[in-house]
Amino acid sequence: MKKLLYSPKAAPYLFIGPFILTFAVFWLWPVGQSFLMSFQKIIPGEASFIGGKNYARLWNDRLFWLALANSFRYMICTLLLLIPVPLLLAVLVNSKVGGSRLKAVFKSAMFVPALTSVVVAGIVFRLIFSESGFALMNSVVEVFGYGPVKWLKNDLTGLGALLTVALWRWTGVNMMYFLAGLQAIPEEYYEAAVIDGANAWQRFWYVTVPNIKPTVVYVVVISVYGGLAMFMESFMLWGGNNSPMNIGLTIVGYLYRQGIEKNDLGYASAVGVVLLVVVLAINLTQLTASGMFKKEDK
Amino acid sequence: MQSPRKMAALVGVALALGMTGCGGDGDEPGAGGSSQTSGVDQGASDDATELELWTFVDLHGKFYEEMANKWNQANPDKQVKIAVNVMPYDDMHNKLQLALNSGEGVPDIVDIEVGRFANYIEGSPALEDLTSAAAPYAQDVVKARMDLYSKDGKLYGLPTHVGTTLAFYNTELLGAAGVDYTTIKTWDDFKAAGEAYHAATGKCFGTADTAAQWQEALLMAQLGTDWMTPQGQLQVNNDRIVQAVSMLKDLQTANAICTIAGGQPDNEEAFGEYNAGNFAAAIMPEWFMSRYLSYLPDLSGKIAIAPPPAYPDSVHTTVGGGGTGTAVPSAGPNKALAAEYLAYAKLSLDGNIMIWDSLGFDPVNMAVWKDEAVTHNPDNDYVKYFQNNVFDVLNTLTEEIGYLPSTTMQGMPNINNMFGTTTLNEIFENDVDVKTALDQAQADLKNELGQ
Amino acid sequence: MSAIGRPDAQRRPGGIGQPDGIGQPAPAGRPGGRHRRGGLPLTVFMALVFGAAGILCLVPFWAVFVGTFQDGNMLIRNGLNLKIDFSQANFDNYVMLFTDSGNYFRWFANSLFITLAQTAGTLLVSAFVAYGFAMYEFRFKTALFICVLVIMTIPFEMLMLPLYIQINNMSLSDSYLAIILPFLASATTIFFFRQYLRGIPRDILEAGRIDGVSEYGIFFRLVLPLMKPAIAAMAILNAMASWNNFLWPLLALRSPDKYTLPIGLNTLLTPYGNNYELLIVGSFFSLIPILVVFLAFQKFFIEGMTAGAVKG
Repeated sequence: MKKLLYSPKAAPYLFIGPFILTFAVFWLWPVGQSFLMSFQKIIPGEASFIGGKNYARLWNDRLFWLALANSFRYMICTLLLLIPVPLLLAVLVNSKVGGSRLKAVFKSAMFVPALTSVVVAGIVFRLIFSESGFALMNSVVEVFGYGPVKWLKNDLTGLGALLTVALWRWTGVNMMYFLAGLQAIPEEYYEAAVIDGANAWQRFWYVTVPNIKPTVVYVVVISVYGGLAMFMESFMLWGGNNSPMNIGLTIVGYLYRQGIEKNDLGYASAVGVVLLVVVLAINLTQLTASGMFKKEDK
Repeated sequence: MQSPRKMAALVGVALALGMTGCGGDGDEPGAGGSSQTSGVDQGASDDATELELWTFVDLHGKFYEEMANKWNQANPDKQVKIAVNVMPYDDMHNKLQLALNSGEGVPDIVDIEVGRFANYIEGSPALEDLTSAAAPYAQDVVKARMDLYSKDGKLYGLPTHVGTTLAFYNTELLGAAGVDYTTIKTWDDFKAAGEAYHAATGKCFGTADTAAQWQEALLMAQLGTDWMTPQGQLQVNNDRIVQAVSMLKDLQTANAICTIAGGQPDNEEAFGEYNAGNFAAAIMPEWFMSRYLSYLPDLSGKIAIAPPPAYPDSVHTTVGGGGTGTAVPSAGPNKALAAEYLAYAKLSLDGNIMIWDSLGFDPVNMAVWKDEAVTHNPDNDYVKYFQNNVFDVLNTLTEEIGYLPSTTMQGMPNINNMFGTTTLNEIFENDVDVKTALDQAQADLKNELGQ
Repeated sequence: MSAIGRPDAQRRPGGIGQPDGIGQPAPAGRPGGRHRRGGLPLTVFMALVFGAAGILCLVPFWAVFVGTFQDGNMLIRNGLNLKIDFSQANFDNYVMLFTDSGNYFRWFANSLFITLAQTAGTLLVSAFVAYGFAMYEFRFKTALFICVLVIMTIPFEMLMLPLYIQINNMSLSDSYLAIILPFLASATTIFFFRQYLRGIPRDILEAGRIDGVSEYGIFFRLVLPLMKPAIAAMAILNAMASWNNFLWPLLALRSPDKYTLPIGLNTLLTPYGNNYELLIVGSFFSLIPILVVFLAFQKFFIEGMTAGAVKG
C-alpha cells in the first residue's frame, strides 16, 4: 500500500482512474448499447434484431429532417446574433468613453439573465409571448398598429421567440467572454497603432479583430454545441415537446419524443446514433480547423 | 482572485437560505405543488395500506381520496390510504412508461388518458387484468367504455365516464345576437347560426380546434368511420374523414368557427376566451361541464346544454369522447387490494354517484343516469350552474352514443400527436388544402408506424 | 457529461484552445485614470445603448414580479404584462407560498443540497483527474486526453436514453447519485484545471518527493492550495449549471419529494393542477437567492465567467 502511495509510476493511473471509470461506465457502454439497440425493435419485454430497418425509416422520416433543419437553423441564427451583438457591446464597454460606474451596473444587468434557470425563463417568456392581446409582446406590436400575433403558432415568430430567449440569456455571458479577450490585448499595441497614425476604425480592424479571434473561435464552438443541443428552451416555451406543426421540434426533442414519449427505444437509438455522428463530425472538423488538436500534441 | 473565505461565505449564504427554506417545509398540508396530501379526510387508520396513485388531474386525486373514505368505512379490515401524486399530463405518462419498462417505482394505481392508453397495452402489458375485480359491477356499466381498455379479452383499465359529446351554448350572447340554440339540429343549422352570430357580433360562434380532435371524432361517429380500420390499418385520409374535416373548414371559412387561444377549448387560455365572451358555443364531451364550473364561474346560469349538431342521416348522433382508463401496474406490491379498491371507486353505484356529484362527469354506471334523486338534486353544483339539466339531454341520447374502436388501438397516440401538432394546424391556421394535409398525415403516419 | 450535467450547455466554461497559464484573473478593468472622457455626444450615445440593453435584460424580471401580485389563472389566460392593476393586486400568492405551497420548499432544499454536493464532488474529482493528466507521463495519455476532448464536444442529451437505461441497470434511478455520479469527472472542468496546472512548474513535485511526501500528499497538500483561483472559477460555473439542471434530473427522478426546484416548478405548468399562482410566485421566489448571492459576490461571478474565456 505504502509503495503504491509513493510510486510515481502507479500514481497517474489512480489519479485519472475516476475519469476512466466514468468514461467506461457512463459513456462507452451507453454508446455501445445505443448502437446495438439501433438495430433492434424493442417493445416492452421483447427485443428483436431487425437489421437496418430503423435507419431506413429514419431516412424517410420527414419529422426527423424537420427537427434537424430546425436545430441547424436555430444554431446558425444564434451565431448570427450572439457573436456581433455581444462583441459590439463589449467593445463599447471596453472603450474609454463613459463612466466606469455606469459600465459596472450595465455588466451586472446583462449578466443577471444567465443566472435564471431555463425553466423560469421559459415560463416567463411563454407568458410574454402569449397570444392574448394583453400580453407584453402583443402590447408592443399594438403600439405599431398590428393586431395580436399568435407568436407561438407560426414558424418564424416561434423562432423569433426562441431567439429572444437565447439573446436574453446569453448576450451578457458572451459579452463577458469578449470583454475578457479585449482586456487581454496589451495597451501598447494600440499605442503603437496611434503612433503609426491609425484612426479608430483602423485600430479596431488591425489590432482588435486579429487579437480577439481566439475568443471568437471559442464562442463559436460553444454556440454550435449549445445551438445543436437546444431543447429546454423549446420545451418550456411550448409547455412540452409538442409545438404546433413542430415548429419548436429540435433534434434532442425528437430523440426525447421517440425514446421517452413514444417508448420506441430502438428507433430512438438510431436517431441518437445518427446525431452523435453528425455532431462529432462537426465538432471534430471545427476543432481540427481551429488548431485544437495540434496544440494538444505538443 | 478572491479569498477562499469569500467562497466559504458564499456557501454559507446558500446554506442559510436552504435552512430557512426548510423551515417552511413543516407539517403544513399543502394543496399546492404535486404534493401527497390535499387535506381530504380519508378516514384511514394507522395500519391502512398506503396506495400510491398517479394522476394528471388534480380533481381526480380528490375524488379518489373521498372514495377511500367510503371504502374504509365499508371495509374496516382492509383500509387504504391513497397518496396522490399529481403530475403534468406529458410528464406523468412518460414517467409511467419509464417505470413500467423497468418495473421499478411504479405506482399502485394510475390514471392513463385514453389517447395514450395504447402505448401501455402494447406487447405483453405490465398492467393487471382487472376483469375479476370489475365483475361485481360489470352488469350496470356501459360495455363500450370497458371495451376501450380491453385487449385480448383482458381488462386493463377502468373507465371514468362516458364522455358523451354535447353542445354548450352561451344563451346570453346568443340572445343578444338573436340566435336561438334550440333550433340547431344539423350542421347546416349550426353553420347558419354561426354566420348570423358573426354578422351580428363580429365574433365567432364555435371553435376550430387545432390541438384536439373532439369534433372530428364526433363527425366520424356520425359518418360511421374511424381513424383506422378494425384491422388497425390507417385510413386518416379516407373520403368520409375528408368530408368531415372539409365541413369544419367550411364552417371556419364562413366565420362560424374560429381558432381559439390554446388550440382547443380545454385549457386555461381558451377559458380566458370563453370568459371574455369571444366564443359562444363549445362542442365538447360532457366532462367539459366541470371546466365551466371550476374555471368559468362568471358564466354561471348562462350556459345551456343541447345535443350536438348532426347530419340528418347520422349513424350515431354523438360519440363518447376522451376518458381516463385507470390501471393497476403488475409490479405494484399491493395490486390485489389496489384493484379491488379501484373497481369500487370507479364502477360501484356509490362511486359513480360521486363521479357525478363531485366531478360532474356522465358516469359509466347507467343506473345513475335514471336516478332522478341524484341527477336532479337541486343542491348539486352542476345542476345549479347550467340552465337545463344535462341528464335530460343525455337520456335522449342513450341509444345514440357511438364510439371509435380505434381510440385505444395501436398507433392512436401517434395519430393524436400528428393531428394535434401538425395536421389540424396546417388546415385551420395555415389554410393548407384539407385533402393535401390529410394525405400528408397518412403518409407520415404510415412511415412512423411501419405500415 | 461534458457540460457539467447541464442541458443547456452553451456557456461551457474552460476555453478550448486556451494557452497555458489561463485561469489567471482577467485584468479587472483598466485603471480609472486611463479613462479619457469622450465628447458629450458619444457619452450620451453610450448611456443610451447601455440603458436600453440593460433595461431590456431586466424587463422579464419586472414582468414576473408584477405577475406575482395577480391571479394565476388570469396570468395564463392573459399573459404577462408590465402594468400593475392595483385594484386587483394582492399578496395572496405570497401568503400561499409560505403557508400552503406543498413541496415547494422541499424542492428548494433539494436543489441546494444537490448543487452543493455536485459542485464539491465535481471539483474534487475533476481536479484529481486533471492533476494526473497535467503532471504525469503514462501510456495512452494522449488517447485518453483526446477522450476528454471528445466528451466535451458531445452534448449529453444525445446519450440520455442509454444513460437512463444504464442507471436503471445500476439500480440508481430515483436517487441523487444518479444525478451526480455520471458527471463527477466533468470533462470541461478537467480540461480547465489541466490547462491551469500546466502553468505550475513540475519542480514542486520533485521537491515534495524529496521531502518524502506521497504522490497524493503532494496533490492535496501542495498543489490543491495553488489551484484556488481555478477552483473558485469552476465552482461558480458548476454551481450555476447544477442549480439550473433540468433534463437529466427530470428523467432520473420520480418521487415528488426528491424533485429539484426546476422540475418541481415545471410540474406546476399543467392545466389540471390549479397551481398557477405557485408557478408564478415560486418562479419569482426561486430567483431571489441567486440574485442575492450574485449581488453580494458580483465581482467574483464575473471574474469566474471571464476566467473561463480565451485570452489571446
